[in-house]
Amino acid sequence: MLLYFVLSSETWIFGQKHLDHVLQYNIGFYLHYLSRWPDLCCVQEAPRGRMMGYVIGKAEGQAAEWHGHVTAITVAPEYRRLSLARKMMNLLELVSNDIYRGFFVDLFVRCNNLVAIEMYEGMGYSVYRRVKEYYGNLGVGKGGRDEEDAFGMSALAVCLSGRQETEKVPLDMRKPLSRDSARRSVRNNGRDIIVSAHDVS
Amino acid sequence: MSAALDRQIRPIYDALDTGSNKSAIVACNKLLKKHPKNALVQALKALALVRSQKVEEALALCDEVLESKPADDSTLNAMMHVLRGLGRHKDMVTMYEAAYKKQPANEELGAQTFFANVRASNWKSAQLLASKMYKQFQEERYLYWSVISSVLQAKDPNTSTEMRTLLYKLALRLITSAPSPSSIRSDRFHLHLTILRELAEYDEAFALLDTPAGQGICETNLACNEIRRDIMRLKGALEEEGKRAEQRILEKNDRNWLEFLSVVDGTFSPLLQNSAVDGVKEQCASKVSNTMALFTKISVEDGKKDRSGLLGLLELEDRSRKHDSTRLLTLLKHYYELFGDKACCFEDLKPYSDLEDQELASWSEILNTSPSSLSSVESVRRVINSHKLLRYNLSRSELTVEAECSRAELYIKQYQEGLLLGKDLPSTELQPVDDLAILAGSVFVNVWKMTGDIKFLYKAAVLLEFALAKSRQAFQMRLMLIRIYRLLGAPAVASDHYHLLRIKQVQNDTLSHFILSRCSTFSLAASGDLTFSSECLEASQIYISNSQETSDFVIRAFSAEKYSQIPEFIKFEDWLENSLQRDITKLEYLRMRVAHEAISSEIIDLELIELKFIFDRLHHDNRDFEILPNYQPRVVEDFNTQTLLFGKSEGHGWVWSLLKTYITAFSQASDLDDVVEEKLLVGDRPQVSDAAKRGTLKERLAERDEEELSELTTDELSLVSYADALAAWLEPFHDYVRPPASVVLAEAAKQTELKTGMPLRGVDTTPPNGSVKKEEDTPPITDAPEALQKFFENMKARFEVARKTTSPVEALHVATLTQEAFLLFVVETLRFKTASVVKIHKLGNLVTKFKPIRAVAVTVLRDMAAALEGISAQEGTSEKRREFIELSGLESLEFDHDFIMNIGKKVTDSRKKVQEGIAKGMSKLCSTYEQ
Repeated sequence: MLLYFVLSSETWIFGQKHLDHVLQYNIGFYLHYLSRWPDLCCVQEAPRGRMMGYVIGKAEGQAAEWHGHVTAITVAPEYRRLSLARKMMNLLELVSNDIYRGFFVDLFVRCNNLVAIEMYEGMGYSVYRRVKEYYGNLGVGKGGRDEEDAFGMSALAVCLSGRQETEKVPLDMRKPLSRDSARRSVRNNGRDIIVSAHDVS
Repeated sequence: MSAALDRQIRPIYDALDTGSNKSAIVACNKLLKKHPKNALVQALKALALVRSQKVEEALALCDEVLESKPADDSTLNAMMHVLRGLGRHKDMVTMYEAAYKKQPANEELGAQTFFANVRASNWKSAQLLASKMYKQFQEERYLYWSVISSVLQAKDPNTSTEMRTLLYKLALRLITSAPSPSSIRSDRFHLHLTILRELAEYDEAFALLDTPAGQGICETNLACNEIRRDIMRLKGALEEEGKRAEQRILEKNDRNWLEFLSVVDGTFSPLLQNSAVDGVKEQCASKVSNTMALFTKISVEDGKKDRSGLLGLLELEDRSRKHDSTRLLTLLKHYYELFGDKACCFEDLKPYSDLEDQELASWSEILNTSPSSLSSVESVRRVINSHKLLRYNLSRSELTVEAECSRAELYIKQYQEGLLLGKDLPSTELQPVDDLAILAGSVFVNVWKMTGDIKFLYKAAVLLEFALAKSRQAFQMRLMLIRIYRLLGAPAVASDHYHLLRIKQVQNDTLSHFILSRCSTFSLAASGDLTFSSECLEASQIYISNSQETSDFVIRAFSAEKYSQIPEFIKFEDWLENSLQRDITKLEYLRMRVAHEAISSEIIDLELIELKFIFDRLHHDNRDFEILPNYQPRVVEDFNTQTLLFGKSEGHGWVWSLLKTYITAFSQASDLDDVVEEKLLVGDRPQVSDAAKRGTLKERLAERDEEELSELTTDELSLVSYADALAAWLEPFHDYVRPPASVVLAEAAKQTELKTGMPLRGVDTTPPNGSVKKEEDTPPITDAPEALQKFFENMKARFEVARKTTSPVEALHVATLTQEAFLLFVVETLRFKTASVVKIHKLGNLVTKFKPIRAVAVTVLRDMAAALEGISAQEGTSEKRREFIELSGLESLEFDHDFIMNIGKKVTDSRKKVQEGIAKGMSKLCSTYEQ
């Protein structure tokens, strides 16, 4: 069931269980998002209350770049391939469109996460650009940062932006919303456009 | 401020920003020579002092600045950080109020004053202030601030029921007085609905929801939509809500489970209202078949894509079965066929599969005959699901040792066969067969529980270690292993696994119980090894971050007008602040501290104040036990209960029981009575729970509740009774000897002045006149209760029994509790160690009565230490390792000899270390406190 995001100990356990340990999901992280964009955050619970996944998002950007951004989305391994991510993305797109009146929704995804990329493409997202030099190359991070947490089954997609640029986020994918009827926020040759991390907000 | 001074102050900020507190202090001192009364510099110095933990000096400066009633932004801001660091929220309120009074047109200052009240949870003042600001600045935001302040005051557990209603009514009056409707912002709307729900004004709420604006908000805002559902339910409009949900499912393809639930609720709503009336049953039956048709249609359409339709059918069936029907089995079968290859199948079906008799037989038949091929990941999942579902319904007669062992054998065989499937997976991935190992491990633990034979725990450990080596991320196995190693008396191995989990942030609250529960049993603090003590301190860091960070976000939510979040944030802060685990950890830390550090009046005073704070708390249990996988049959205990150390989980009762014991002992041994404490305490007192107000401290300490005590092990119970007897005996003598408050305060003032060069505020330091000797006579000296010596003799006997059990934990438990009893004796008699005190108060006869008790305690402890040392000498040897391999009996099953040997080595080495260390610590404490 789709519920609004409540900070419970379960959320924490869940968040820590399924996300990369390099992400410092401290108290401030969740509270920051919830104190600003509570309607862009939600959790999904199984019928008898088990948490299956959650999404955390925000709205940002100036002028035609004003958009909804998926910061983190994750589904527990035992609930994968049951359309849960799609339901949460639908909500986030709906709110970005109706409430925030954004031009598009975007997210970052690791270029080696083919399953996720394919899934987002199925939802209407396309690559807008590639981001290089987070760690001087595309892909595996410095010092074997690819190593996962003891709790971290690799998350469906782990995306961070803003100041927490500690993750490898090579692909920036976008989907235009109704306000961008001319589809100005996307392009066909996104995979050929490479930008450096500094250019990405 | 002059430009020159401004220039000189800048480097102080820079130093503070970069954490160079020392140089900040130096720079402040330099400036203070020229401008001794500059409040800003003083405030900055106080901040640097707070940050360098020099609390006493900071306090003195802080008070000086406060007295000057600062009003400029920079000083106020610096002081805000100082006061927060010192936990003096009330002083912050006073400071801002005074400043705002001086500049009533300063809107920002008004907001800061409001926030100061928020931080101090002064909801009433906050509400009044916000109302005033609304009138003055005409900003609607301030009106809403006053509304939510009323709501928060109503929510405060200390608010009475009648008051609560009044406050909600006030909130409603305020919110309806706003010029624009609440529906212009979803968070305002949410607040409005919350108030109406609390006041049971469902019709009015419904009217709001029924407007286009209201409908629009609920469409996109989950929080508002949830209140809407709630209101519809409370209003009794289940049928209407069901129809709406049906529409959403059909027209908008909504697959939110909540909508399916609404449809089911709507289906049965006629029964809720009046099931006696004729025709209701028929009406309901026809509705059930309609809903069934709807869900069937959805499930056929969605197929494997979405499980909502089929789960809806199960839910419908489950509820109508309570009335009548028999379709459940078919549905279970269908679900298993469709989703049996998904990992969630077992958890999805568990609530519906509590079957009996014939139905159970048929269900088991279906599962038993399901394909057992292990050729693909999907088929492995199906096999695992069938095992789990079958196991869940096993009856007691099916749970014989032989049957369980053959199950384990099957699981292990399939596990090994299925491992091939994942042989190319990267090391970061989970193996598809992991759950087969978890199942086998669970079986072994269950057999251990049935037989008490430790070899089954060895088996479980070896198997899970093996599976974990193949699937490094399988944290559930690690958690199981942590439990098993603690049961085996190998705490170091358990800790290694715990560290590999890389516990972070709030997990320190929810999961640290895995190694900190009753960890004083394994602590070598008495012999100088502080591993567990530092583990406690580390786990407690999160509470400090919570108290420092969370309130900032409450303020931010006010600024951003996210009212729906404010009560949630406050609840979150409260749950962490008053976490049960926090104080369980605190108690364990304390028990280790008294064993490690020399027992002195300073430690006793400090700990006493903290324990009394804890005693006033209303605790929340945030511990996560659900995280442990549980695949035990429903007729036996779950895995968590089976693997608790000493079979008991410590909860509120355990915390209260030990708190009472320690507070009693410490307050007798301490000179700090309530008067003194009140005078010396800086900062705010924590909020006091209702329970705490019900009696005086003394009355509450004396209450020993059966239910509370039932959370203790028998040995812990003996310790508590012993401590009660000891305290009851010595109380009159402590009260007689304890110096009067004025003397204690004078001494404290003298010490502070020596340290900071400034007198202690608010304390009269004139030495009391004349002699301090009490006028009344020495209370009659009584004999020591027999229970005291008896306790040590009984523990000796208990130890003899415990040391013969196969796992060393029982003996360690008895030994460490006996040691604790001795330390409590030291605490209780500390005051009578000083010869002059004994002489002045004529207590020589009392002191001679201590000797035989002390002697018995020391003898018993020395015997136990010698015995533990004897046992530890046998651990860690090659015979023990061989014994481990033989008992585990898994070598034949293709598990590598060296692999098992290595686990055996770790277990027996860890046992050796803990037994040896505890023995050493006990001997050391005996020599320290023998005299």
